Amino acid sequence: MNIGLKENNIIAIDEGLAGKRQTGSTSESFRNLCMLELRDVTKRFGGLLAVDNVSLAFSKGKITGLIGPNGAGKTTVFNLITGFLKPDAGEILFSDYRINGLPTWQIAQIGTGRLFQDVRVFSKLATLENLLLARKRQSGENPLVALFRRKSVLDMEEKNIDEARKWLKFVELEEEEKTLAENLSYGQQKLLAIARLLAGGFDLLLLDEPTAGINPEMTKSVLDVIRRLAQAGKTVVVIEHNMNIIMEISDLVYFMDEGKVITFGLPQEILGDPEVRRAYLGI
Amino acid sequence: MVLQLLANGIVTGCIYALVALGFGLIYNTTKIFHLAHGIVYTAASYFLYTFVRQLGLGFVLGFLLALILATLLGVAIEVFVYYPFHRRKASLRVVMIGSLGIYIFLVNLIAMVYGNETKVLSPGVATTFHIGSVILTKIQLLQILAFIILFSLSILLLRKTKLGKIIRALADNPDLVTVLGIDVRRVRVYIFILGSFLAGVASCLVALDVGMDPQVGLGVFLTAAVAVIIGGVGVFEGAVIGSFALAILQNLMIWRVSAKWQNALVFIILIFFLLFRPEGILGKRRRLEEA
Amino acid sequence: MSYVFHILIMICIYLILSLSLNLLVGYTGLLSLCHAAFYGIGAYASTLLMVKLGLNFFLALPAGVIIAMLFSLLVAYPSLRLKGDYFILTALGFQIIVFSILYNWVDFTRGPYGIPGIPKPSILGFEFSSLPLFLLLSAIFASLALLILYRISASPFGRALKAIREDELAASALGKRVANFKIWAFVIASGIAAIAGSLYAGYVTYIDPTSFALDESIFILAIILVGGSGNIKGPIVGTIFMIILPEALRFLGIPNTIAPNVRQMIYGALLLFLMFFRTQGIAGEYRFEGE
Repeated sequence: MNIGLKENNIIAIDEGLAGKRQTGSTSESFRNLCMLELRDVTKRFGGLLAVDNVSLAFSKGKITGLIGPNGAGKTTVFNLITGFLKPDAGEILFSDYRINGLPTWQIAQIGTGRLFQDVRVFSKLATLENLLLARKRQSGENPLVALFRRKSVLDMEEKNIDEARKWLKFVELEEEEKTLAENLSYGQQKLLAIARLLAGGFDLLLLDEPTAGINPEMTKSVLDVIRRLAQAGKTVVVIEHNMNIIMEISDLVYFMDEGKVITFGLPQEILGDPEVRRAYLGI
Repeated sequence: MVLQLLANGIVTGCIYALVALGFGLIYNTTKIFHLAHGIVYTAASYFLYTFVRQLGLGFVLGFLLALILATLLGVAIEVFVYYPFHRRKASLRVVMIGSLGIYIFLVNLIAMVYGNETKVLSPGVATTFHIGSVILTKIQLLQILAFIILFSLSILLLRKTKLGKIIRALADNPDLVTVLGIDVRRVRVYIFILGSFLAGVASCLVALDVGMDPQVGLGVFLTAAVAVIIGGVGVFEGAVIGSFALAILQNLMIWRVSAKWQNALVFIILIFFLLFRPEGILGKRRRLEEA
Repeated sequence: MSYVFHILIMICIYLILSLSLNLLVGYTGLLSLCHAAFYGIGAYASTLLMVKLGLNFFLALPAGVIIAMLFSLLVAYPSLRLKGDYFILTALGFQIIVFSILYNWVDFTRGPYGIPGIPKPSILGFEFSSLPLFLLLSAIFASLALLILYRISASPFGRALKAIREDELAASALGKRVANFKIWAFVIASGIAAIAGSLYAGYVTYIDPTSFALDESIFILAIILVGGSGNIKGPIVGTIFMIILPEALRFLGIPNTIAPNVRQMIYGALLLFLMFFRTQGIAGEYRFEGE
């Protein structure tokens, strides 16, 4: 299995996935595929090397799994991508546009959406309000517009509410529209967070344990959504501890340990890799 | 002239330092912004007044009784207000507002019972001592002495006793302490005893020096709180350094500019520190990473 | 009867103050203790323009608003960088510094002597000189403030503020530029508070710094905490309650000498009680928590 991230390796894997493809130059097809790339990214916390010279690439229309034992640096990678943390070295590129160093809000507006492991819904706000917050380019968020162009703001609100309700229905939470988020069950909150991402129309979706705490039927629906998002051309990255889930939906898997990318490849290969099993299961 | 101002600064610094040490003990360990510390301070003076002027007890006895009562007041606030808040896992902001409520209630109670005017405890001319070109009154020397003794004892307690170790551990990592099975409830009471006692001493000495009025506690408290922060949160000695720094700067300002900007100066210094050196003078620079 | 008019006018003025502070405390979750400073800046700015430059009330008022808004940036920017207690102290510091300037810069503001002879608001020869007319003017401004703040808080802007209050990081992860929102909140809140300042000046025709001190900031905050915040109802209930309360005490026959103390004792106790049992106040939506 190839380790490391040379251009041709990515192409090779992708050609394996998609069947032989007649494309232009390798770099062009690479660029078309790759939505988000980390190049030699390092992050230190005091003496601890949380992320050590990591290079990752996430492709459009693909679901990439990010696995590894606790403390491997997976969540830190998410934090680096979303701008919560700034890398000490290396670059993060979103569609060839350097985003490391940009503030979180800007990275989000560019199209990066994140599902948090600890959910992070807005507890004292209603379910519908949580969704409405995700809607992009709300002119009513400017107080002057809210004050003086009330009609246009109300019109936009109406449209946004319709959209939001659509997604609420999708995760089967339409009954809970007015319920405060803190009064939902954990599983429901997770669904709300997922719906929030959908309502936000993000192109890159970073999902940190999307199925934890959700019952099996809903899990199927969630995985279904994730697949359809990828089919629609979104870039999906999933951190998961449940290997079955990883097997089921990932097109590609990265295995991290102690801040480094140890190996990457197709799910079956990675999960069969003895080194991975050793690190995970201590065998 | 400068030396006199410096000396005055040191005297005032001693008072601030006692109050700041007390507030720091409480704030660093419980993280509670104990606004009511200001009224514990004020109450001590008025207890002293009651015992000495209204009940005719001697100064020494009155002093001791006032200290006991002030300490009890501080402990009562912990036992009947703060600890219940702690049990309910109330947020620190809620506790702070509660503390503000206590302050408002008690300061008005005192004003109602004793009146708003300044009361003086030792009328007449004070005995003065000349040290070089500097003149200090007996009471001022007592203030310096009290600080030296109490500060030394505090450091001894913090460094050498088991309670001191627990206090320092609490200041560093509150959660760890509960894991170690230490009776946090009792430790908190001890902390409030110490903190309130120190404030009480400072208050009574000031009362004997210049007198008292119900409003003065807030100003002293805020200066002490600023001293704790600019000295370095989590570092107990920092409160002392911060106190002297503020007191001396205040007196320099009296010399160079005017006395009336003292309060503003304290907060200008605070804001300066918060924006440019938030860890304070003695604090360690901690890079706070998100998430 | 004029007594009733007076009460109603004060209710209007405090409605403007509490509704604007509500935007900061209830919606954005910023515990600001410097609202009286904006109130005072509005009052002094418009007063000085009216008295020294002969500007008309209806031109001086917006000028005061703009000046207060500019000053609010001095608190807004630190609020972006400072968390919890540190922000609260910074706002407190701003309050004290502003008061200090109003009180001590005698050449400019006449300090403790205050500024007398403020003309009653007049426009095109028509003067709001009688109480009923002034009540009308106050009610118009209060309604204006209510309308502006209602529209703003019920909009996506208000919703974003609430999200920031709940979880700043999650809000930025959704693309909300938190800094912008906070600065807007300060600018709007301070500007509206300044309206109250001009109105007050035109009403009492004499202003001095003591009306705009820390006590006043605490009072306005208490209105929000008692009545509730995070919605429109809370501040309205709070204002009416806190303004009527002292009058009710008067009817109960409490002597004037201690009435102010009793009143404050009541709201000190009320604050503590509410923090224990009902942090959303009487009619608020935001169950006051925070860090």
